[in-house]
Amino acid sequence: MNELLQRKPGLRAWLLLAPSFLWLLIFFIIPLGIIVVYSFLERDLYGGVVWKWTLENYRRVFDPLYFKTFLYSLWIAFLTAFFSLLFGYPLAYYIATRPEKTRNALVLALMIPFWTNFLVRTYAWLTLLRTNTGLINVWLQEWGIIDHPLPLFGNTFAITLGLVYGWMPDMILPIYAALEQLDRSLLEAAEDLYASGWQVFRRVIWPLSLPGVIAGTMLVFIPSLGAFVTPAILGGGKRLMIGNVITNQFLGAHDWPFGSALSVLMMAVMLLATLIYFRTGGEEARRGGLG
Amino acid sequence: MPDASSAAVELRDVVKRFGDVVAVDHVSLRIAPGEFFALLGPSGSGKTTTLRMIGGFELPTEGEVLIEGEPQGYKPPYQRPVNTVFQNYALFPHMTVAQNIAFGLEMRGVPKEEIRRRVSEMLDLVRLSGYERRRPHQLSGGEQQRVALARALINRPKVLLLDEPLGALDLKLRKAMQLELKAIQEQVGITFIYVTHDQEEAITMANRIAVMNKGKVLQVGTPQEVYEQPQTFFVADFIGDTNFLPVQVMQVTAPVEVMTESGTRLTASWAEPTLRTGVKAVMAVRPERMHLYRPGSGPEGPEWNRIEGIIRQVIYKGLDIRYEVFVAGECSLHVRMPVGRSEGTFQRGEHVIVAWPRAAARVFRSES
Repeated sequence: MNELLQRKPGLRAWLLLAPSFLWLLIFFIIPLGIIVVYSFLERDLYGGVVWKWTLENYRRVFDPLYFKTFLYSLWIAFLTAFFSLLFGYPLAYYIATRPEKTRNALVLALMIPFWTNFLVRTYAWLTLLRTNTGLINVWLQEWGIIDHPLPLFGNTFAITLGLVYGWMPDMILPIYAALEQLDRSLLEAAEDLYASGWQVFRRVIWPLSLPGVIAGTMLVFIPSLGAFVTPAILGGGKRLMIGNVITNQFLGAHDWPFGSALSVLMMAVMLLATLIYFRTGGEEARRGGLG
Repeated sequence: MPDASSAAVELRDVVKRFGDVVAVDHVSLRIAPGEFFALLGPSGSGKTTTLRMIGGFELPTEGEVLIEGEPQGYKPPYQRPVNTVFQNYALFPHMTVAQNIAFGLEMRGVPKEEIRRRVSEMLDLVRLSGYERRRPHQLSGGEQQRVALARALINRPKVLLLDEPLGALDLKLRKAMQLELKAIQEQVGITFIYVTHDQEEAITMANRIAVMNKGKVLQVGTPQEVYEQPQTFFVADFIGDTNFLPVQVMQVTAPVEVMTESGTRLTASWAEPTLRTGVKAVMAVRPERMHLYRPGSGPEGPEWNRIEGIIRQVIYKGLDIRYEVFVAGECSLHVRMPVGRSEGTFQRGEHVIVAWPRAAARVFRSES
């Protein structure tokens, strides 16, 4: 056996890869295949499928009722990525420019929220944001700053806030990693060559951190697009995202074929967004300077 | 020495402290326009900090930096008429060679057409025409070095600051770049201030050298002056090879007289002013200024020092032969003799006379 493996290094590589390959096959590729197949079948009345091919599910996906939810989800995902970048970048820059000890402590602090379950943390936001009994509105009214409760809950604001809160570390970490590697002497060189503070950022820091920005944006955009816990809790049942619709199709309406069609469409959009973003972003990162 | 108005860079009693550490300790320097000026010293001598204070990357704790007679105060780097070539070049990795070189002009809003013309002039100057569209990582160390030089020179600074610019190159390339840098400096006529820890490099390139140690400037002079007339033990030791003989001072006024531990009387051309009669000191002589003779021969008289010894080691180096001579009760002396002298070569174990002229000997306080 040993001798055989030594003579055929290819075989050895396959043996080493086999466990992870099997894992992916059983838990990723096969379920994905089932979803794709189901999306072309008819439902039966009891939550199963009827083996009759149809395109009806995909026609329904573009029904304005669902398609609007789809566009709304894209909008939320965009807002989440945008605000995570807006608030996350300065924070990542701040952490990356601290002395090493402080840096490690701050990165650790960034991880601490993950020690608590996401669901619990989202409910915590609920107690803060709720319209009549939420702490923010109660306090603001007690202090006489406002007369009527602010619309903090059950809307786009609440969902975006919850998602930005949840996913911002995924934006910060890759940007931090890119900025931390940035050679300080490049900044001095730019300054020496008459660049102002803003120009140093625009022409040197930003282009060199772009790989981190791209990775972070994708890491935030994709899970936000498919989110269902946050909109379910902070959307107050009034604003739904595509993730909630899909959950409903599988668990509530027992319409697996339609739920599958929605899932396939969402994955297609994510794949497309990723490809476009990496293509243009990569180009920008390569060109960097003049342009 | 130039007068105040004509100094390209002047440091007036500059001190830089980092917490309790004094990195630069009361340094005053005047650097003339067009000079190739080297700041030479071991690591931690304060030479890079001095350079960074001229460039505006550090501000002096005390004292003043003047460029072309104008005090620089708290001006940031981009407001000073100087540019820097950084130790590891600090080329922008996301820009092409041409974009790197154009950066300074672009930041100052020079018209595109002029930028293009001057970039191509610079590429000619550093012999990199045709490399416009390459990226820094596609260039060799020497090419990167030339891009860094072009990127700084294109701005036509009054003074160019160079921080160990050749430190990352291998020996052969470094030698070639030394000559090239010097040629470029003569061609553009800009004042160069050059930081290095390599004494040979400083001697090869500079018009004048400031030797630094522990934050202080110990001596400023032409390469010939610092090599032939070192003012302190440190300078004599740091620059070139030197023999140090432990001696006792007999007379400090010219001609300086000293006595070795075994009682041989020697004379020297100069003694450090702080020395007093009777104290212990060292006599410094360059290996190439010492000559070997067979016993009973060689020059004699008040202008010459003679001491007996035994050849311990002979090393043939092609251009010259290096002898290590053991001097009774004293120490080893290193002697460098050109190949092909009439005496022929000496053998290991041979008794010899080591002789050197008074003019080649200087006496210092011994450090440590």
